Amino acid sequence: MSDYEIDRVKTGIPGLDELIEGGFPRGDTILVAGKAGTGKTIMANQFLYYGAVKYNEPGVLVTLEEPPRAIKRNMLRFNMDLDSLVQQGMLAIVDLYPSKEVARVNIGEYPSFDLSGLEAIIMNHVNKIGAKRVVIDTLSILAYKFRSRDILREEFFKLTANITRHGATLLLTSEIPAQDSGLGVFDIEAFLASGVVVLYNEKISDTSRSRSIEVLKLRGSKHSSRIHSMRITDEGIRVWPGEISPSH
Amino acid sequence: MDKAAGSNVSDKHTDDTIVDIVFFKSDTCAFCPRAEEVLRETIQDFGPSAFNLSIVNVSQNPEAAEEYGVFALPTIMIGGISVTGIPEPEMLMKMILGCKIAKKRGSRQ
Repeated sequence: MSDYEIDRVKTGIPGLDELIEGGFPRGDTILVAGKAGTGKTIMANQFLYYGAVKYNEPGVLVTLEEPPRAIKRNMLRFNMDLDSLVQQGMLAIVDLYPSKEVARVNIGEYPSFDLSGLEAIIMNHVNKIGAKRVVIDTLSILAYKFRSRDILREEFFKLTANITRHGATLLLTSEIPAQDSGLGVFDIEAFLASGVVVLYNEKISDTSRSRSIEVLKLRGSKHSSRIHSMRITDEGIRVWPGEISPSH
Repeated sequence: MDKAAGSNVSDKHTDDTIVDIVFFKSDTCAFCPRAEEVLRETIQDFGPSAFNLSIVNVSQNPEAAEEYGVFALPTIMIGGISVTGIPEPEMLMKMILGCKIAKKRGSRQ
């Protein structure tokens, strides 16, 4: 492979690789954005699960929104046994769910801090298992935890750069607030990433909704500019590359 | 966890008046040295036996940061309360006094 050829990371999502020239560019940061209930967490975990099972790439899941127990239970529903991957050393789950914090109350925040603690926690796991894939689910939770948005924006740039520097592909999830038209609560999520995938679950009639997926940007790739049908099946998320979403 | 003054947090004192303080820092955190100075200056007037001060360098001990759920630095934890960033001495004093009052109430019950 020449220095200018892009090495692709298979997403583990059937149908998605066909829309993006074979996979995400290795070592890039990819944002998966969507409103509540669009399948962001399933996609993120599927990326890690099949990354380990099919492509032998260890992964790290950093969970800020849901406790690991709930994630493992929900993913078992799609025949993805995360526990077995943890036992094999192919997956590390970093539990940063708010209820586990030892300090019950954070009474103050001065605008003079960084996220080097979070970076140290993540990199510790990345180095331990030689992770090639990292998921942070979800970035948006930090917006509610800290008031100093300017600092967070700068720190996110540093954090994502440091995680991907050694070749790991980073997938961030970002929740789009219900009435919002942007891509997250910080307004900068899309700039952090070299790729942006948006998930939809639009109401198409009084009695039904339609799921779809859009690759909004992917630097260095000729990606589809259409909005494609997507479904959540018993094996997780599946994309139909030849099917254009009826809701758009 | 480094023992900085008095005894280590894990080595529990039986004296209910002693306040446990944990200071989280990292090798790359630019604000941490100043926060540590403010902390040490604030507690020095109380005398060395008033506190158990433990320093956690998360660059060397990331497991401790994960265990405590601390990822923004500097963070100072006093009792069950924490503050992030370079704190004002007045804020630290309030946290210390609040902790002492809570301990006194706890020992009376």
